[in-house]
Amino acid sequence: MTTPDRRSPRLRRVALGATAAAAALTLAACGGNVGAAGGGEGEDFPSGPVTITVGQDAGGSTDLIARAVAEGMAEDLGVAVPVVNRAGANGAVATEEVAGKPADGYELVLLNASLITITPLAVSEDEAVDLADLDVIKGLSQDDYVLLASVDSGFENLDDLKGASGDIKYGTTGVGTGSQLAQAALFAQAEIDGTPVPFDSGSPALTAVVGDQVQVATVQLGEAKPQIDAGKVVPLLAFSAERNQFLPDVPTAVEEGYDVPVSQYRALAAPKGLPEDVKARLVESIDAAIASDTYTSFNENNLLTPHEISGEEVTTEWTELADKYKALTEEYDISLAEG
Amino acid sequence: MESLQNVAAGFAVVLEPTNLLYCLVGVVIGMLIGVLPGLGPAATIAILLPLTYGVEPVTAIIMLAGIFYGAQYGGTITSVLLRLPGEASSVVTVLDGHALARKGKAGTALGVAAVGSFIGGTVAIVGLTFLAPVVAGFALDFGPPEYAALALLGILLVSTIASGAKVKALIAAAIGLLLATVGRDAFTGAERFTFDSLSLADGIDFVPVAMGLFGLGEILYNLEERHRAVHAPGKVANVWPSRKDLKESSGAVTRGSVLGFFLGILPGGGATIASMAAYAAEKKRAKDPSRFGKGAIEGVAGPETANNAAATSSFIPLLTLGIPANATMALMFGALLIQGITPGPQLVSEHPELFWGVVNSMYIGNVLLLIMSIPLVGVFVRILRVRAAILAPVTALITMIGAYTINNSVFDVLLVVVFGAVGYLMKKFGFEPGPLVLAFVLGSLLESSLRRSLLMFDGSAAGFFTRPISATLLVVFVVVAVLPLIRAVRERRAAVPAGATAAADGSSDGASAKNREEESV
Repeated sequence: MTTPDRRSPRLRRVALGATAAAAALTLAACGGNVGAAGGGEGEDFPSGPVTITVGQDAGGSTDLIARAVAEGMAEDLGVAVPVVNRAGANGAVATEEVAGKPADGYELVLLNASLITITPLAVSEDEAVDLADLDVIKGLSQDDYVLLASVDSGFENLDDLKGASGDIKYGTTGVGTGSQLAQAALFAQAEIDGTPVPFDSGSPALTAVVGDQVQVATVQLGEAKPQIDAGKVVPLLAFSAERNQFLPDVPTAVEEGYDVPVSQYRALAAPKGLPEDVKARLVESIDAAIASDTYTSFNENNLLTPHEISGEEVTTEWTELADKYKALTEEYDISLAEG
Repeated sequence: MESLQNVAAGFAVVLEPTNLLYCLVGVVIGMLIGVLPGLGPAATIAILLPLTYGVEPVTAIIMLAGIFYGAQYGGTITSVLLRLPGEASSVVTVLDGHALARKGKAGTALGVAAVGSFIGGTVAIVGLTFLAPVVAGFALDFGPPEYAALALLGILLVSTIASGAKVKALIAAAIGLLLATVGRDAFTGAERFTFDSLSLADGIDFVPVAMGLFGLGEILYNLEERHRAVHAPGKVANVWPSRKDLKESSGAVTRGSVLGFFLGILPGGGATIASMAAYAAEKKRAKDPSRFGKGAIEGVAGPETANNAAATSSFIPLLTLGIPANATMALMFGALLIQGITPGPQLVSEHPELFWGVVNSMYIGNVLLLIMSIPLVGVFVRILRVRAAILAPVTALITMIGAYTINNSVFDVLLVVVFGAVGYLMKKFGFEPGPLVLAFVLGSLLESSLRRSLLMFDGSAAGFFTRPISATLLVVFVVVAVLPLIRAVRERRAAVPAGATAAADGSSDGASAKNREEESV
């Protein structure tokens, strides 16, 4: 199994370099043109740097997405778009901080859907982040979860897992994550006995399933793909609503008859009450950023599926998902806040 | 010999002028950020990542790797001179390194650390060259039960690390464990000691704790001391270790290299545990353990060698298994992805030039660091000649900036102030901050690994003994914990009939009697 991007790293690199150089040139050119097209508040926007706050540490997939978008936005807006990492409480710290800032378009936050849709099921109410405090500007991409089995477990597909005797230990990427919810719901619906073993993030959970410390685990595809390709873990299921383009041979939970569509979505948002023209200008710049070759190849390299929907659609979709997950946990008596 | 050809080809890659230049740039940046507390290699690599987009993957990784192990060198400098450990892995260096500096032997400490780091790094690279595929599996055999046993052993070592009273060390360690429980429970999502503050939801970061207790606490304490007695500015007797110093530390360097290499392979905290284990091993072996904490050169040589060896061997899981062992390695993973290369089990066979290029660049990078350190040691120790009235506020300022840069959080700066006050009070009442900080670092590892293990064993603690590695570690734990007690009892029995001979054997028996006394308290 060779992925297309493996075959031509050199070519891609040249392309990347060239785009970067082109970006730098355009950036310089744009710099001179700021404010040239006058009239209206939105036309003046932006007159200074637009900051994107990320609620995760530098180097993680959320951070990399923010940096990829920021690069393209800076090019289009003609101002600097710095990315600031403000890790804490799954991203709640960053989100609350940005939600409390003036709604002038200069302060944005990169949101993880799980913070809105799943985390509230695991933490106390006053800690949960409310989407009503934010103006969602644009949906970006979708990162799918895959259920993996260790090679030593001998599981090749979901039926093997269902037929296994005894209590299955399943690794999750933490409490209140999609990884935990997806597996808990699947195990409940398929009537498999299981105990969740929470790890701090995706990488230790993956290491545990590669080393057969747990029999199965669910992590995001981008992290798991190299181990899947090398045959160190066996993919059993994807939790996406539709088949993942990077895993065409792996069935989804929905296809197998289990109602657990869980993916990680990401979107850009601003404090509530953003002026319409400023919002329009931001949407325009994000559209320009995500249309660039650099960004599309970034998505491919990181196995991210584009899910570029409008801010209103994001709000509707996430609210629906939050309700759906809440109903699921109630129906099957799943408690995410239990070890 | 295909592999030898690959090794040779790797050297050809490194010796390309561009790669040599990036290697030099990497280690220089690494050393500088190592000197600045707070700004660690992970943050630096994240910031500099875009610079690597335009170059070859091997060049990019050579530079980023240089930043990483260069920072291990740099971190020693502030630990020794200013008592500011920037990384968890250099906390134990503070204990004897700073004591040496106060004796005017800062040059000795830094020189031995540089030589030890060089040897530790080189031994680990040789290990990486020949053993990487063999030992890679070792990381996978380490599951939650093994980490729990290892952390338990580590916390036991903490109590032996302290040079003062044992009971006070245990009290400090217990407070450290308690502090480690602050934050959202990773298993149930319940809030623990967070007082409804989101800033505490993820617990307390290591850096503000270490910088407050060691750095700021020390500054405050010294300010008070100076009002009582007028100190001459610290004299700097020598800038380079003598032949005798090097000879005394050779054993520590050897043991540190081996310990560091193996513990570094473990994902998460390998370098910290390695440096602690090396320090504890040196103290256990020493004829006169009471020298430790007061400026024993082995107390610097052992841990500094071990943390550099561990930094190097932590590349093994990334390059052979595709598993990042720590935050910095996760960024390297990201850097490779951007370059269109997916680190994974197939990396060595698919991209041998990358693997061997990076490995061999470390030989060169270590030589470069050693060459740079020798003249720089002389420059750095002059810091101690700066008057305290100037040095103290500057150090405090650097500490605050360092704490702020971790999370861009003012809350962390406040934490430094709080822990600074705690550190001052601890010092005043004869408590050492070392056991507190180390127990704090290991506390969350112990708790989460233990609970994970119990979930895996269906709640049965007997499960720990069904697995060879965790069983062995626990046996070692019991032996280390019980042996001194048995020895003390035996000595006491032997001492009764042979009272006269024991009295003649003054120094060593005096020391063990003191130990016994402390243990019985």
